[in-house]
Amino acid sequence: MRFITLIAALTTLATVPASAQFGNPGGLDPGTRESAPGVPIPGQTNVPDRLFTTLAAQGGMAEVDLGKLAQQKSRNDAVTAFAKRMIEDHGNANEQLTQLAKQAGLPLPTEAAVDQVDMHHRLSTLNGAAFDAEYMRSQVTDHQKTVQLLLWVIASGENTDLQRFASDKLPDVLHHLLMAQSLVSQLTGAAAPPTN
Amino acid sequence: MSVWVKSFSTVLLLLPFSLSAFCDPLPPDLTYRPLPTLPFSRVKAADEAQKAAVMQRQSGLMNERYDLSDRAMQNVMMSGGRKPVQQGVRVKLAAGLTWDSLAAMSPDEIRQKGLLPPGFLPLPHVKHATGGQVFPDRQIDEIRRQEGRDLRRFDVNFDFPDHITAEFPPPIFLTTRPELGDVSRGQLLTIRNFYEIMNGIVTPVQMEGLRLLLTPFPQEEFNQTEDRKVAEQSNGVTCLDCHANFHTNGAFHLTPDVRPQAARFRLDTTSLRGLYNQQIHGSKRSLRSVEDFTEFEQRTAYFNGDHMSATRKGVHLPSRPNQVAMMAQMQNIIDFPPARKLDRMGKLDRSKASPQELAGEEIFLGKGRCAECHIPQLSFMDNMMHDLKLEDFYQIGKTYNDLATLPDGPIKTFTLRGIKDSPPYLHDGRLPTLADTVEFFNLILGTKLTQQEKDALVAYLLTL
Repeated sequence: MRFITLIAALTTLATVPASAQFGNPGGLDPGTRESAPGVPIPGQTNVPDRLFTTLAAQGGMAEVDLGKLAQQKSRNDAVTAFAKRMIEDHGNANEQLTQLAKQAGLPLPTEAAVDQVDMHHRLSTLNGAAFDAEYMRSQVTDHQKTVQLLLWVIASGENTDLQRFASDKLPDVLHHLLMAQSLVSQLTGAAAPPTN
Repeated sequence: MSVWVKSFSTVLLLLPFSLSAFCDPLPPDLTYRPLPTLPFSRVKAADEAQKAAVMQRQSGLMNERYDLSDRAMQNVMMSGGRKPVQQGVRVKLAAGLTWDSLAAMSPDEIRQKGLLPPGFLPLPHVKHATGGQVFPDRQIDEIRRQEGRDLRRFDVNFDFPDHITAEFPPPIFLTTRPELGDVSRGQLLTIRNFYEIMNGIVTPVQMEGLRLLLTPFPQEEFNQTEDRKVAEQSNGVTCLDCHANFHTNGAFHLTPDVRPQAARFRLDTTSLRGLYNQQIHGSKRSLRSVEDFTEFEQRTAYFNGDHMSATRKGVHLPSRPNQVAMMAQMQNIIDFPPARKLDRMGKLDRSKASPQELAGEEIFLGKGRCAECHIPQLSFMDNMMHDLKLEDFYQIGKTYNDLATLPDGPIKTFTLRGIKDSPPYLHDGRLPTLADTVEFFNLILGTKLTQQEKDALVAYLLTL
């Protein structure tokens, strides 16, 4: 009998993943239906999850769009290599996010954010060193914002899959931010960032 | 993806080229705490149902990082003589590593191979997404017994075992009456007993300051609104609920100085002993006087640095020339415990110290580089903040129990006087013992101490 209890206890242990997320239930939407206390039933379109999906998808697609623009316009090998990395990494992340959003029944945005469109336009008018510096400076800002967005959903999101996605991507985005800061430093003489 | 390209082109065509718009700001609860959206009963039920899994997750992380068994040193007690000091290194190493082989590697190699012991990483709050003050059981039980006030949260428990925390209740030493020694009578100071215990020992001004330091005020998790984590409507918490007897009971919360929530590091309550020599206050805040700290603490520790939330739950604005000054004057007479082996300038008295302790002091002042910040003549502080740049040793951004491990940046130098009395160590309590602390600094400062030197350093730290 004690053996059976032990097995039951171990089984229970095994069903709680080490990376289980525990949000603050005080922040759940009043209408949230739950599969377990504080855990929303999958497929609901809660405000934080919906907002995260929208902002993350818009940000990711803008990265790809601006990366392509940079590949067309830049003659700087380091900048085009960075742009290629953005197209690849954010392209992959966008596909993962699309899958997660579909599984969760969360709507994906159909339009780019206004500031991203504006940035595309502004960069289109620049060439040479001016383009490189402006593109890389905008990449620093965009990745700073993405870091904030990922940190936000890690604590405030409700969909566990989206939170895991954010946790997985955070180190990569921080690395992109560091790469962008290094390039800005090389291109403009701005203070060099810490190395990590 | 083609939809997106079209979307970009379409929006581009529609927008006038002169438009220079800013985007929407990021979500509103990145900086500000959101208002509660659910009734209290429902939040409480959800929190209580999650509690077992929350605690299991945290103990999983703690056991992965540390050996938290009860292994006390022989004949080494904390200053009140009520609790032994724990011995040995408790942070776990990856298989196949030794502390020497780890210390022989460069920071880059350790980072790239992911070999930094997880116990050296920032320690998450027991429930990081919620955060807030968490008290140890001894404090909870004693406050209930004396005041009938409830400090027990329904969503989390304290996570370190009792033997890794300070003795309880800690002794109290006063700069104004050193000949009396410990004046606590072995009791925890509360709003009920403070007058009886301190009558005749402190001045009227200090007594009034003490009364205020022991008066509960509403706090983020302990208040009368639906946004609380204690079952009954609560009058709040007091300053000395964490700084028990002006020392620490190990209560922890999240730093008020960082946002968003996942980036906020855990804060282990610091001792108030020796405050009179301390020129900056708060791990990150660098407040320049204890008066500033005392005045602002109700907006920061109590309310997570969120004055908006305080306004809703019951803000307390102590009068600067009267109440704040009196609270500060009381705090400023709290002394370090006696250190019989130290001379007037904080150096070991050669007639009293053992050869091993003297060897430890030599390392402290030299090879170990400890005294570059912990200057003996300045009460083992330098009144500065420094950046240890631990992030050179690990890849930033990994998430552990909802805490994203990010660089800590500059943190205040804490005093080492009476250090054996205040485990766990570092600003977030990530290091259970003094031996862990020696290994931590040996690694990050690259001092390459031998085992004999590390043991001597621990022996020296015990004399402080």
